[in-house]
Amino acid sequence: MNKLSATKPFSPKPLNPFMLLLGGIFFAYMSLSSAAQAQDLKGSAEAGKAKVWLCTGCHSIPDYRADYPLVYHVPKIGGQNSAYIASALQAYKKGERKHPTMRAISASLSDQDMVDIGEYYAAQNSSSPMNSLK
Amino acid sequence: MKFTTIYLLLLASIGLASAADIESGKKLIAERNCAACHGADYFTSIAPTYPRLAGQHEDYLYYALRSYQVETNANYGRKNAVMGSQAKGLTDPQIRNIAAYLASLPGPLVVKK
Repeated sequence: MNKLSATKPFSPKPLNPFMLLLGGIFFAYMSLSSAAQAQDLKGSAEAGKAKVWLCTGCHSIPDYRADYPLVYHVPKIGGQNSAYIASALQAYKKGERKHPTMRAISASLSDQDMVDIGEYYAAQNSSSPMNSLK
Repeated sequence: MKFTTIYLLLLASIGLASAADIESGKKLIAERNCAACHGADYFTSIAPTYPRLAGQHEDYLYYALRSYQVETNANYGRKNAVMGSQAKGLTDPQIRNIAAYLASLPGPLVVKK
């Protein structure tokens, strides 16, 4: 036993605590900066105007219902929080929300599209103008 | 005569059984502390990533809460840590009552092009 440990055929160097710390800081920085990038995207209601054509077929028709056999009113999204709309679209794209139609639509949207669409709907209120492109 | 009375009673009970109870929805939502995230008026939420609920369609609110209960369902599931744990503690009538209460509130949501 002593002999074996004396020869030490394989002895990895102990990890340098300083290098470990450096690595930790590096990964923390990478993950923070990528999270920040997604949040830093600035949406534009004006840009969103041209990107909502897939939404209007359901969400702009008063009293529209969908999803046989459950059948319920599709949600009102005008005046909704923009960041919620963007995060809901992300959840469909990632598959955390399963609704097949919304999954298919969100898969075609970029992160920028999502925040633009969010801003477009958040800016709607009872006196806002209808979409001039629709 | 007897038949009519029984028939009317039956009809009335159908109405009573299916009608959601706004008042008990209001009580329940206060107990569950939903306002902590969604705001005291249920549209001034504490973070912009949380949805405004006041005045949303009743049947959609019911569907959304149910969807967190069946998070892996391929058509209706929704997976969310916070909403999952909130929704899983609710019975079907409780969800209907909450949806009825939230839908009855005034809010900024609109349907527009």
